[in-house]
Amino acid sequence: MNNTENHHHNIDHRKVIQDAIVRRSYKRKIVNRVFTGVTIVCVMLAMIPLGSILFEVVKNGISAISIEFLTQPQGSIIRGGGGVGPAIQGTLLTVGYASLIGVPIGILAGVYLSEYAGNSKFAYTVRFFNSVMTGMPSIVIGIVGYIVLVITIGSFNITAGAVALSIIMIPIVVAVTEETLKLVPNSVREAAHSLGIPKWKVTLFITLRSAKNGVLTGIVLAVSRVAGETAPLIMTILGTSLFFQGFISPVDALPLRIWRFASQPYEHAHSFGWGAALVLIIMILSLSVLLRFLVLERGFKQGSLVKM
Amino acid sequence: MTRLLDLGIDRIRNSIMDMAKLSEKSVTTAIESYEKGTSTKKVIFEWSEQLRVLQDEVGDLAIELIARYQPVATDLRFIRSCMEIAYGFSRFGRYAYDIVDVLETMGSIADCDKNAVLEMSCTVREMIRISVQALQSKDKNAAEKLYQMDDTVDALYRKYLREAITPHEKTDKRSFDPRCYISALLILRYLERISDHACYIGDSVHYIVTGTSSPRR
Amino acid sequence: MSWMSSKEYTNTISYKLSSLSDTKRHGYKVSVKNLNSWFGSKQALKDINFDVKENTVTALIGPSGCGKTTLIRCLNRMNEMTSSAIVKGSVYLDDIDIYASNVDPVIIKRRMGMVFQKPNPFPTMSIYDNVAAGLKLNGIRNKALIREIVEESLKGSVLWDEVKDELGRPGLSLSGGQQQRLCIARALAMQPEVLLMDEPTSALDPIASAKIEELMNELRKELTVIIVTHNMQQAARVSDYTAFMYLGELVEYGPTKQIFENPQKELTERYISGKFG
Ligand SMILES: Nc1ncnc2c1ncn2[C@@H]1O[C@H](COP(=O)(O)OP(=O)(O)OP(=O)(O)O)[C@@H](O)[C@H]1O
Ligand SMILES: [Mg+2]
Repeated sequence: MNNTENHHHNIDHRKVIQDAIVRRSYKRKIVNRVFTGVTIVCVMLAMIPLGSILFEVVKNGISAISIEFLTQPQGSIIRGGGGVGPAIQGTLLTVGYASLIGVPIGILAGVYLSEYAGNSKFAYTVRFFNSVMTGMPSIVIGIVGYIVLVITIGSFNITAGAVALSIIMIPIVVAVTEETLKLVPNSVREAAHSLGIPKWKVTLFITLRSAKNGVLTGIVLAVSRVAGETAPLIMTILGTSLFFQGFISPVDALPLRIWRFASQPYEHAHSFGWGAALVLIIMILSLSVLLRFLVLERGFKQGSLVKM
Repeated sequence: MTRLLDLGIDRIRNSIMDMAKLSEKSVTTAIESYEKGTSTKKVIFEWSEQLRVLQDEVGDLAIELIARYQPVATDLRFIRSCMEIAYGFSRFGRYAYDIVDVLETMGSIADCDKNAVLEMSCTVREMIRISVQALQSKDKNAAEKLYQMDDTVDALYRKYLREAITPHEKTDKRSFDPRCYISALLILRYLERISDHACYIGDSVHYIVTGTSSPRR
Repeated sequence: MSWMSSKEYTNTISYKLSSLSDTKRHGYKVSVKNLNSWFGSKQALKDINFDVKENTVTALIGPSGCGKTTLIRCLNRMNEMTSSAIVKGSVYLDDIDIYASNVDPVIIKRRMGMVFQKPNPFPTMSIYDNVAAGLKLNGIRNKALIREIVEESLKGSVLWDEVKDELGRPGLSLSGGQQQRLCIARALAMQPEVLLMDEPTSALDPIASAKIEELMNELRKELTVIIVTHNMQQAARVSDYTAFMYLGELVEYGPTKQIFENPQKELTERYISGKFG
C-alpha cells in the first residue's frame, strides 16, 4: 500500500474543498436570506384569505348572535326574528349520524388496506376507487342519495343526508387511516406479535393505538369537511324551519340555512346568514381545538408517534 | 493490514527467542565449565539474572495483550504458553547457575570420572535445541520425542544414583573421592530437571498448535 | 432474583398450553433440524442443525449479513411475518415441531419471548402499560397480579430502580438503553420459556450492557436464552454455547470455551481472532 501518496491525496482534497467553502460563503449568506424572505412572504400570502374571511365573518355575524338566535326556529321571512336553532340541531345530528356510519367503516377499511390487504390486486383496486371517491363532486353524491334513499322512503330525510355525508367521509378516513397506519414502524407490530398477541388484537390495540393521533386528525378533517357541505344536503334533507321530527323527515342544516338567507333580498336575512356562518365556523374550529387539547396534547406528548 | 495484536505477539515472540538463545548458551557454558574446569560463575549469574528479567517482561507483555486485545483461540493459547515457556527458559538459566555453583563449592574435581555427566549433558542439550526448534517451527510432535529423550535421561540418572549408593572396593581413588560422586549427582539432578522443563516446553508447543494438552502430560 | 414467582399467572397460561406436552426431545429445549430459509430467490439459511439445552445461554455470532437475525427469527416463527420469506425444515420446542401445520404460531410466540436489535417500546403507552400490554391483551384481568408481574419484570431487567416513581411516563421518553431494558421486561412479563435476543446491547453503554449480561446469567436459571451478538467478548462472557455462522451456514457450534480457546474450524478461528478479510 502506498501510504505517503494516499496522504498527499487527502491533503489536496482538503485544500480544494476548503477553498471552495471560502469562495462560496459570501454568496451563500445572501441566498440564505433571500430564500428565508420568500418563504415568509408565501406564508403571509396564504394567511391573508384565511384571516380576512375570519375577520369578515366575525365582523358581520357577531351582531346577529343571541340566545334566541341560537335556540329558536326562524321567525317571519319578511320581518325577520327567531333564529337558527333547527339548523344547528340539524347539522349536529346529521354530521353525528354520518360520523356514526362513516368513521367505523372508514377506519376498518383503512385498517384492512394497511394491515391485511398487502399489495394484492384487490387492494390496488380498492385504493384506486377510494381516491376516485375522494374527488367525487358532492352534488353527484347528493343525487345518488336522493335516488336511493329519498325516492324509496318517499320524503326528504336525515338518514339520506347522513348516508350521503358518510359517503364523502369514508374515502378521507380510509386514506388517512391507511397512511397513518403505514407510518407505524413494523418493529412495533413485531414486538406485539412476539408477545403472542393475536393479530386482530395487535392491529386494534397496538398498531391502531400507535396511529391514534393521525387517525383522529383524519376524522376531524372529514367531519369538518362534511359539516360545511351544502349540495348533497339540498338533495337529501332539503331543509326545514322545524326541529328534528324523526328519522324519515326533513331536517335543517347550517350550510343550507346560510344559502337560503343569502338568496333572500332582506337585510336582516343577510345578517342572519353571517351569524349562521359564524356559528358554523365556531363549531368546526372548536372541534379542531377540542381534538388538539383533549387528545393530542394530553399525556403523550413525547409518546405520540404519528402526528399530522 | 496488521492486526494490532500481532505487533504485541511479535514482541513476545522476540523476547522468547532471546531467552531461548541465552538459556541454551548458559547451559552449554555451564557444562563446559564442568568439563574443562573453567570459572564462569559470574557470567552465568549475569545471564540467569537477565533471563529472569526477560521472563518478567514476557509476563507483563502477555497480561497487557490480554487486557487490551482480549486475544482468543491460537493467539490466546500462544500468549498463555509464552508465560510458561518463559518460565522454562528462566529455569534453564537458574540450573546452569546451580551447576557452576556446585563446581565452585566442590573445588578441584579435575580427576573425577565425568563421563556420566557428559553423556547426559549431550542428550539434555539436544533436548533444549529440539524444544527451541519446536517452538520456532510450531512442531506439535516434538513433545513426544522430548518425552522419549526424557525417559533415557531419567534412566541415566537413576542408574548413576544406584551406582553411587552401592558400596565399592576402595581401590579406585577416583571413585573414592566423595566430591566426585556428590558433584556428579547434583549436576545430573539439575540436568534431569532441565530435561523435564524441555518437555514442558514441548507440551506448550503442542498446546499452542492443537489446543489440547499433550498426551504424555 | 425471584421474578418468576407468580404461580397464579403460570397456571393461567399453562392451562391454555395443556395440549402441548412437556416432555423434551432428547433433553433439548430447542432443536433445529435441516432449517433452510429464503428471501425471494436468495437463500439466507442453508441446512442449519443444532440443539440447545435447557437453562443455557447460546450465542450466535458471525459477520454482518450471515443470517443470524434470520435464524433467530425462524426460531419463534417471526420470520414468516416478512412477506418474501420462505422457511423449510423443523424447529422443535421441547418435542413440538413449531412448523407443524397444527401448531398455532401465536402460542409459540407466547412461549418464546423476543428482544429486538433496536428498542421498540409501544409508542403511545406508558412504561407500565408497555410491560402490562402482553398480559392484558392475553386476557389476564387480575390488576393486582399484573402489577406484581410488572414490578418483577422491571426488576428482572434491572430497570425498576430507575423508573419506579414514574411508571406513567411514556415508554419512548426513556433513554435508548432504558428502552431496551423496558423491552426485555416486556418480554419477561410473559414468563417465556425461551428468550431470543437479537443484539440486545448494541445500543447500550458499557454499564447498561454489563447489567444485561448479568441479567442473562440470572435468567439462565429460569429459562433458555439465545442471543445474537456482534460483540465476541460478550458472546464469550455470557454464553455457554456459541454458534458461528457464515454466509447462511452454521460453520461451528460448540461450548463457548472451546470456540474461543480452540475452535475446530479454520474459518471460526479467523473470524473470532479478527483475521477476516
Ligand atoms: N426482509 C428481507 N428481504 C430480503 N432479504 C433479506 C431480508 N432480511 C434479510 N435479508 C438477507 O438475508 C441475509 C441474512 O440477513 P440477516 O439479517 O439474517 O443477517 P444478520 O446476520 O442478522 O446481519 P447483521 O449482523 O448485520 O444484523 C442477508 O443477506 C440479507 O440481505
Ligand atoms: Mg441482524
